[in-house]
Amino acid sequence: MSTERTPLSDKDLWRSLATDQVAPTAVSEMDFAAWLEGRLSEADAARIDVAVSANPEMRRAALELSDILGKPLPAPPPRLAVRAQALVGFEAEKRAGRGSWLASLLPAFGQGFALQRGALAGMAIVVAAVGFTLGGGLGESYATQKYAMKQPSNGVTLSKPLGRDTTNELNDLFVDAT
Amino acid sequence: MFLCLDCGTTVAGPHFATNPDRLLCGRAQNGNAGVTELNQIDLRALAVGSKRTWDAFVVASTPLINAVVRRALATYRLSEDDVMDAAQDVFVRLCANDFRLLKTYDPARAGLSTWLAVVSRSTAVDYARRRRQAATPIDDVPEAALAVEDRHVEKLKIPEGLLTERQTLILKCLYDEERDVAEVAQLLKIDAQTVRSTHHKALLRLREHFRGEEP
Repeated sequence: MSTERTPLSDKDLWRSLATDQVAPTAVSEMDFAAWLEGRLSEADAARIDVAVSANPEMRRAALELSDILGKPLPAPPPRLAVRAQALVGFEAEKRAGRGSWLASLLPAFGQGFALQRGALAGMAIVVAAVGFTLGGGLGESYATQKYAMKQPSNGVTLSKPLGRDTTNELNDLFVDAT
Repeated sequence: MFLCLDCGTTVAGPHFATNPDRLLCGRAQNGNAGVTELNQIDLRALAVGSKRTWDAFVVASTPLINAVVRRALATYRLSEDDVMDAAQDVFVRLCANDFRLLKTYDPARAGLSTWLAVVSRSTAVDYARRRRQAATPIDDVPEAALAVEDRHVEKLKIPEGLLTERQTLILKCLYDEERDVAEVAQLLKIDAQTVRSTHHKALLRLREHFRGEEP
């Protein structure tokens, strides 16, 4: 029987050693991303190497992210984007677009709410115009009134248009009486 | 001419926009179309809250965030709704407090996709921990997770300076994480041959130092 010891495999040798002597240090997300892309200087990269070596969670993160970033990405569920888009809405856009006080007075074209307001105002103008036209319009009303002043009606001549003030009403009374 | 890291074919063309170290052919780049779009986002408009830019950013970043969150939560065995909620947490984090986190991103230091992947993963892990704390009864936690290491097993300490930081990291990835040489090479942006030789040199040093002390 041989007394010679069987040498440990590389893996067993490594596992027989105490390797977690360094206290994990905090690494910012920006530093970690720069390290993942290999953009750090040697000294900075060594600092992150130590942190990643000491922290199993960081090692797993690094390996996972490196794998994901190197592969084509699967299509996400559509509702994921819909929910995320709803996080930033009209208020944020309005805040971003605010320039001067004059700009704030003007309608913000291209936004849904402004378009709605514009459409309502347009409809109101159309309704008013149609109503006015059906009612005869200002020009026609003025012409009628002028014509009535000049034309003798039942032998009575109106020297002045019918008015609403007291003087005119009295005048109308006398004129009618004659 | 370059060798595509994704499929291994030799292709002529420009480097991958997101990461000059990652050289991908057209086929692989098409798969990462969202990542390429991500680099075209106007970050200044995004940081001031432009709705249109935010919507474009969401469309471009959703594939990456979805992939990272899904992968990070895979070990926690959470539901599809949890994946959705964790991904939403990433977007909430990005736009919270007037886009404070997004404003900390520095394009000179890392690509947006890499930074976003890091942010997404840490947010997903935080989410999973919160969910586990809130919902998992002690009986459901595997015994191994609650086990305490037997401190009586004396382990030899590696003297400071015996291994470089890079050698330690490579040995940990290979043995503690049980990853293969190609994965470690991809992580560290070095050749597989460099990983092998670093590993070999590190073990030579260890064997030489601990000769006769091996348990």
